[in-house]
Amino acid sequence: MERIDFSQPSRQSSKGILVIFALNTFKFIRRYFVIFLALGLSVSKDESFYFLTTTSLTLIIIGVFLLILVLAILKYLNFKFHLDKDQFYLSSGIINKDTAIIPKSKIQNVYIKQNFIQQLINVVSLTIETAGDDKAEIEINALSRSSALELKKQLFIKRQVTDIDLVDETSQSSVFFKISMWRLFLEGISQNHIKSFLVIVSFVFGLYNEFKNYLEDLGISDHVQASVNIESGTIINVVLANMFVVVLAVLGSMLFSVIHTFVSNFNLEVIENEDTIEINKGLFNKLSLILVPEKIQNIIIKTNRLKQSLGLHTLSIKQAMVNKKQQKNFKIVALEKHQVAHLIEKVFILYNGSGQYHKPEVYYKRMLTFRSISIGAFINIPAFFIFGNSFWMVNIIMIPWIALFVHFTYKKASYQITDKYLTITSGFIDRVRNISELQKIQSVQLKQSIFQKRKKIATIHIATASDKVKILCVTEENAKSIVDYLLFKVES
Amino acid sequence: MFTNKQINLETLPAIDDVALKPISKQYLKIIILNRLLFYGLILSALIFAKFKVMHSNFHLIFVYLFSTVVLFCILNLVGSILAFKKRKFAIREYDVIYSKGLLVNSVSVVPISRIQHLEISRSWIARRFNLATLKIFTAGESGIDLRIAGLNYSEAKQINDFLSNRVNGTD
Repeated sequence: MERIDFSQPSRQSSKGILVIFALNTFKFIRRYFVIFLALGLSVSKDESFYFLTTTSLTLIIIGVFLLILVLAILKYLNFKFHLDKDQFYLSSGIINKDTAIIPKSKIQNVYIKQNFIQQLINVVSLTIETAGDDKAEIEINALSRSSALELKKQLFIKRQVTDIDLVDETSQSSVFFKISMWRLFLEGISQNHIKSFLVIVSFVFGLYNEFKNYLEDLGISDHVQASVNIESGTIINVVLANMFVVVLAVLGSMLFSVIHTFVSNFNLEVIENEDTIEINKGLFNKLSLILVPEKIQNIIIKTNRLKQSLGLHTLSIKQAMVNKKQQKNFKIVALEKHQVAHLIEKVFILYNGSGQYHKPEVYYKRMLTFRSISIGAFINIPAFFIFGNSFWMVNIIMIPWIALFVHFTYKKASYQITDKYLTITSGFIDRVRNISELQKIQSVQLKQSIFQKRKKIATIHIATASDKVKILCVTEENAKSIVDYLLFKVES
Repeated sequence: MFTNKQINLETLPAIDDVALKPISKQYLKIIILNRLLFYGLILSALIFAKFKVMHSNFHLIFVYLFSTVVLFCILNLVGSILAFKKRKFAIREYDVIYSKGLLVNSVSVVPISRIQHLEISRSWIARRFNLATLKIFTAGESGIDLRIAGLNYSEAKQINDFLSNRVNGTD
């Protein structure tokens, strides 16, 4: 492949105009969607907007689009980037000129993404992220795939390499993991469906609120009311109707989970390069991101009973200061156990999982019980208003739930400190294992309430640059020696 | 060569052995002033409302409202005075320790090598008492950032200089 020269300031591919235009139009429409709708409805009802004839309306719309197009062209013309031996330069801005300079060593990760429009015109977007705050990231909207790959490679080439061509020979990559349709389906079906259900409910509710007035105008609710009235003749019919609704909700949530998993993890692929890990995935939004093991702060492995028996583990990777939306992408689903172990070893070279796990003190159980009972007692108040005098029925479900919660949460809580790594397991339904490197600990905090002080129990909060983990309820003496040990590890 | 000797946990420097130093007594005055100002504002708003609101129910509950706020004020003041004694700090060779809290006591330790930047801030009242607040920031949003309030200004500057020298590795 011919080496593409990035040392001269260059623009992105001219197709970029189209991408910027489409993006801005989309943003514009999304922002003013409700206003358009309201306007449209009142126009159709012929109120007060009669001065808007069809021609003037079309003219306004064309004008707005032209404005967006001109802005897109200007944005494209003013967007230039180049790369020298150890820094990346980007100048942008139509009226306010910005120049961003990023040292290669500070780059956290580089993504290659391809949304629907970009797939149509065959370009990709490239995002460069640093450890700064959310806004510090840089996105190049349109590059041909080959030049994006080349740029990505050059960004990750170690500094001060004069003869770049030599590096190409030595870097070799192998596809480590490729998801099959069947495993993807299993992953989708074993998702937390309650979450999907809540998403659907909030979406429908949000839509309903937004269009409440219009729906009332159209008289849809009367139709629904009428059709329900016909069915609610006998008790059996009511029960059947309720069953139908429940089954529909369950099926809908399952379908949503499966589709959601499919869309975001389609063709998931983990590629092992010499010193980086590459993740490719996505159906409509194709995504490719590169992880540098040195920049990884924590690894979290999640599974549950059901998933474990199907051999499904989810591995999420945490880096410093990555925004929440991006963080979701650092997830590799449906891994086998040995694949998880392999990936952990790739990131945390000396991790072997051996070593003794310690349990928190039994006091933890008491704390959990106390907390969940106080929340449970609080739930009785709204229950009283909803169910009236039979509100105590709520407790029939709640008390076993609390008992299960306390039992399993305590059972799954443990911690392990080895020479190099700290592992903490937790979870109620899920089993969560959080691994962090002792060297990357930022600060340590010992916390103790007055009740805990009496029982000589303490909790340790440990912060890395990306996450905060807790070792819950250990004896004061133990806690202090753990703090001493961790500090010794960090400071020596 | 890489060695991996066993560490004797008994010989590690213990956090228990550190003599924590209390912050300046003057800062208690600032805390009390702040609290009084806060509750004073609420109470004066209540009194103002008594003259303006005509609704009779309001006048019925006014006494209860007023006394609740006063009660809260007293509890809060007593709480802060008791908790004040718990505000202590120490600087070790490799880390900074700050302990605080009466009901929930916390001892935070930030290794000097992990400090990202330091800041001394002084409010208007703090300048009157010649006090300063030293803020110590670590990386990451979830990090535990130290905020040591109520240091003597000269002391704060001294600590700031010492820490920034250590961070920059000139010492």
